[in-house]
Order: sequence, then C-alpha cells, then structure tokens
Amino acid sequence: MEVGRLPISASQRGKLISAGYTTLASLSSLSPSDLARDLKIPESEAFEILKVASHDCRLDQPDKSNGIFAGAQTAWEMLHEEQSFPRITTSCADLDNILGGGINCKEVTEIGGVPGIGKTQLGIQLSVNVQIPVDFGGLGGKAVYIDTEGSFMVERALQIAEASVVDMSHYNELLRKELRTCQVEIQPTDILKNIFYFRICSYTEQIALINHLDKFILEHKDVKIVIIDSVTFHFRQDFEDLALRTRLLGGMALKLMNLANKYNLAVVIFNQVTTKHKEGSFQLSLALGDSWSHCCTNRVILYWNGDERNAHIDKSPSLKSASAPFSVTRKGIRNSASNHKRIKLM
Amino acid sequence: MTPQNLLVLPLSTPKLSIGCPILDGCMGGGIPCNSITELVGESGSGKTQVCLQLTIRAQLPPSHGGLGGSSLYIHTEFSFPIRRLQQLANHYQASHANLIGLNPLEDIYVHAIHDAQQMVHVLRDIEAFMGIGHTRLPVKLIVIDSIAALFGSQYDRTPADLKRRSEMFFKISGKLKALANKFGVAVVLTNQVVDVIGPADGIDGVRLGNLECLHTSARRVSPALGLAWAHCVNSRVFLSRHEESVGVNSPYAHSTSIPSQTQRRLNVVFAPHLAPASSQFVITKEGVVGVSTVIG
Repeated sequence: MEVGRLPISASQRGKLISAGYTTLASLSSLSPSDLARDLKIPESEAFEILKVASHDCRLDQPDKSNGIFAGAQTAWEMLHEEQSFPRITTSCADLDNILGGGINCKEVTEIGGVPGIGKTQLGIQLSVNVQIPVDFGGLGGKAVYIDTEGSFMVERALQIAEASVVDMSHYNELLRKELRTCQVEIQPTDILKNIFYFRICSYTEQIALINHLDKFILEHKDVKIVIIDSVTFHFRQDFEDLALRTRLLGGMALKLMNLANKYNLAVVIFNQVTTKHKEGSFQLSLALGDSWSHCCTNRVILYWNGDERNAHIDKSPSLKSASAPFSVTRKGIRNSASNHKRIKLM
Repeated sequence: MTPQNLLVLPLSTPKLSIGCPILDGCMGGGIPCNSITELVGESGSGKTQVCLQLTIRAQLPPSHGGLGGSSLYIHTEFSFPIRRLQQLANHYQASHANLIGLNPLEDIYVHAIHDAQQMVHVLRDIEAFMGIGHTRLPVKLIVIDSIAALFGSQYDRTPADLKRRSEMFFKISGKLKALANKFGVAVVLTNQVVDVIGPADGIDGVRLGNLECLHTSARRVSPALGLAWAHCVNSRVFLSRHEESVGVNSPYAHSTSIPSQTQRRLNVVFAPHLAPASSQFVITKEGVVGVSTVIG
C-alpha cells in the first residue's frame, strides 16, 4: 500500500488505514481540517502528514498533476483552466451569449447551414477575431483555415480585417484616458498574414492535411483555432466502399478532437445540410450527421427565420438549447439590425 | 504541406468583367476566377447571352476587364448559337480592334455533352487539354450551358436514384473546382428553374440566400437540382424576366395588342464576397447591358 511507505509513525499509519486512506491519491486534495477530523488527531499533525504525502507524490510524478495518472486533473482544476482561457468572439453579442461567451478552446464546434447563410463569413470572422490582442480581451493567436470548397475570398477577408482594426481603435478611444491601452498596432495585412490558409481539392488531400496538422501546430504554437470549411464537401461523392468512408470520417473526427485537446485550441468544422422527412414534415439536418456526433462538443445550426439569420444550439453538454439572431454586414458578422438599439457599447 | 501566402498581390481575386459597370458593380467586379458561378433563370432570361458575351470578353487583356484567355463552352441541350456569337464577335472586333484577335471565334472551344457520366470523362480530357497548353491563349473560362440538362431522364425520383444523382453533383463540382483552382479559371454554369407549388417552407421552398423566393414571369420558382446542388456552387445569380404592360390600351384595340416590355433583372442570390445586389438589364445587339434605374 502506498501509504505504507510514507515516513510517518506507525500509529499514524494505522489511523490512516483504518480511516480508509490507503493510497496517496486519496490524500491529494484533502484539507488538514478534514483529515484531522477523520483521524481524530490535532490539525497540525494532519498538516504534517499531508505535506509528507504530497511531497512523496511529487517525487513519483515530476509534472504538476497530483492525481493517480499522469495528466489526470481534478474537475476543480479543469474549471479554473476553462475560466482562465478567453473564448473567441463571433463579433455578434447575441451569438456569443448562446455560445456561453464565444467559441471555446479545447472543443470541437460543428456549425451547419444552408448555402448563403454565412458559414464562410463566420469562418473568416473567427479567423480574424482569434487574433484580437490579449490587451483587448482576445487570445492574440493565429488561425489555420482549411478551405475545401473555394469559398474563401481574400478581398472579403481583408474587408473584415480592416473593419476589425477600425473597431479596435474605436474601442480604444472609448476607454477613459487612464485605461487606454497601447495604440492598435496590428494592421489588416498583418491579420491576413496570421491566417494559415490551405486549399484542398480532394478527400485524400483533406485527410493528409489533417494528419499533418499535429506537426504543423507543433511548429506554430500560437495557432489557436483550426477552421475547416466545409468538412463534408469531398465526402459526399460516391464512395465505392462505404465502410471506408465511415472509417475515414471516424479517423478524422478523432484526430480533430485530439488536436483540440492537446494544443488547447478551438476546432470549428462547417457542415452542409440535407433535408430529412420526419413525421410528415421536412427538417433540415446536418449532412453526414451522425458521423460527427461523437467528436463535436457543440453543434450549431444556422437558418433563416423570415428575413433574419438565426443560429440555434442543436446539441451541447453545457449550453442550453437557444436561438439567437445575427447578421452578415460589410464589416463581417454583427448583431442583427433589429436588436441594434439594445446594444451597449463595451 | 505549406499554407498559401494570402498576401500575394493583388489582394483581390482576378475577375472577368461582364462588360457594363452597372452589372459589374453588382458582382464586385465581375465573375471571379477560381470559383464556380451559377446563372439561374427560366428559358429566355438571358443566361446564354451572358455566357456568349463572357467567352468573348475573356479574350480581352486584364487591364480591360478580361482574363487574356480563351474559353471552353460546353453545351448540353440546344444547338450552339453560332450566329449570335458571330454577331457579338464582330461587334467586339470592331470596337476593341487592337485588344482582341482577328477572329475571336478561334479562341472559343465548343463541345457538346449529353449526360453526367460523359461529363465526368470529358472533365478528365479537359484537364489534359489545359495541361498541355497548346492553345493560342491559355484557357481562362469554362462555361457549361446548362448543367440541369445533364441530370435528366436517367434519374428517377426514388430515394436511391436521388442519392446517386446528388453524389454525381459533388463529383462533378469537386472536379470543376479542382480544375478552377489548378489553372486559375472562372467556371460559369447555367441552371434552369422549376416551379414551386405549396407552402413557402416546404422542401422545395427552402430559402437559400438573399431572396425570400425567386419570381420570374409571375411564377414562383426555385433553381433546379435542389438543395444538394446548391452546396456545389460558390455563387448563385438569378436572372429574372417580367412582362410589363406599357401604355394604355385603346378601346378600339383587341386585348391581345396591349404593348408590353420585357423587364429583366440580375439578382445576386448568394456569394461569399458580395452584398445582396440587384440590377436591371437589357439585351441589345451589342450584348447584355445594365440599366440604371433612377429612383424618383
């Protein structure tokens, strides 16, 4: 038993074992007062025992985790970590709200919608917004944009980048003089330089690239978002061997999930939609839908509600199912015009 | 695998000008290269007219809105409108004598195709043809007029056949996009419309893009080939036509002699780089020209 090899007195050891503490892990996040209560010993003695136990633990595992497995974390630590990382804003406050603040790192978010609803616009907006400097509440990171359909237009990205720089300068001016941060130094062409753009033209290229991403991001540690627009286009052709397609999709999904986790970045995959007949009425559903369900943390569907673009959280473990309107303007993704009067300036 | 440098000048995709500042204004400069643009409209709305004009304009140098290239025109239904093309070519030869070759028709390669399977084979041949590069001007424009006719009788309305059909959409579109990317060409496809009957949000009435629904000749229509095909094009432009009666009919005339005028509109339905836009146009001897409507 691990407790057995701790340099403590025999009576202390006996008390620990009879109280049920047999492994070092069980002592790892205990407070001295709890231990003192369980063992019926003075708190200072309990504190000494815990100090010895955690020291012993650290000898076994030189990394900072104090769980049984290397890399294991307590849920408390995970919450702290999640809260300390800013989310990537979509530039639309309502959309950010239903997403819990924005696109989250360490997660795979799937966003699907009909042609013309604004998927590529959102992709470009996110690849610009990930670069918002830390001083302005952003991540100051870079983006990988994987274009499978040829929808990415440089001039549109430049337009959105320019609008973003203007907004940042405007925000800077609104702050009181004392709080004003350094001048906005980033230029629209710098923003374009920080988007690593890949154009792929077949499913084999897509798989090869996703396999290569691990190495690429190792060399470019400041990449904080990977966008794939769209992930399904090359897989909707005929595949003679359907089992092969399922395997390929599954493999891709796993790699993307691992990428998000390992490098603590956001993965956003755009999907197309098909129509399904359900109970006599038609419904829009994501293409190749079920193949992705086990890799995506969140699923969002973009759709038209009359003349307004809306986003709906379709599936999420932590976000409640809600809809929010947004609009696509010359400057990029913004709040819907009907809500304009209720927007507060930051 | 290295990423592309986005800052390769100019910071704008090369475009093929349609030929008129009003229409080009709607389209952000013209038809973009490295992208598939779909022209949707009923018969007689002007799709073929625009395509013919583009094949000639493609030969103009980039400084004059062209691509300095030849065109590939693949037609699938009717016989190729050679006389109209000759008329347009003569006009352009006369007005742009030093910018265009002596015989613009020599730089337009025409091919007839009958079904989707044949299209797949021909695309492979096209890649080889463009790769060899023996043409006087490099191919810079591929026109397919119309794509809908390729998916006619051999597909029934059964779920299995529809699935096969949509797989074919993605196969053809994938190959066209790869071609567009490899050689930097503009791809223009024309598509027909089907009537929409039933509730606005039924399966045929899924809203795609800027217009709630498309109207032409007082009919509610939707582009052919459905939602799956809509995912295969980068930009969609809708050409509509309406008969508008002009003037007052005299009490002595028959009701059939009410003079009417064709009003034509070009509408941007969706495009990744364009705001919603629309413009009136007319078809003249010299080609397709935009009309500015002065708001009174």
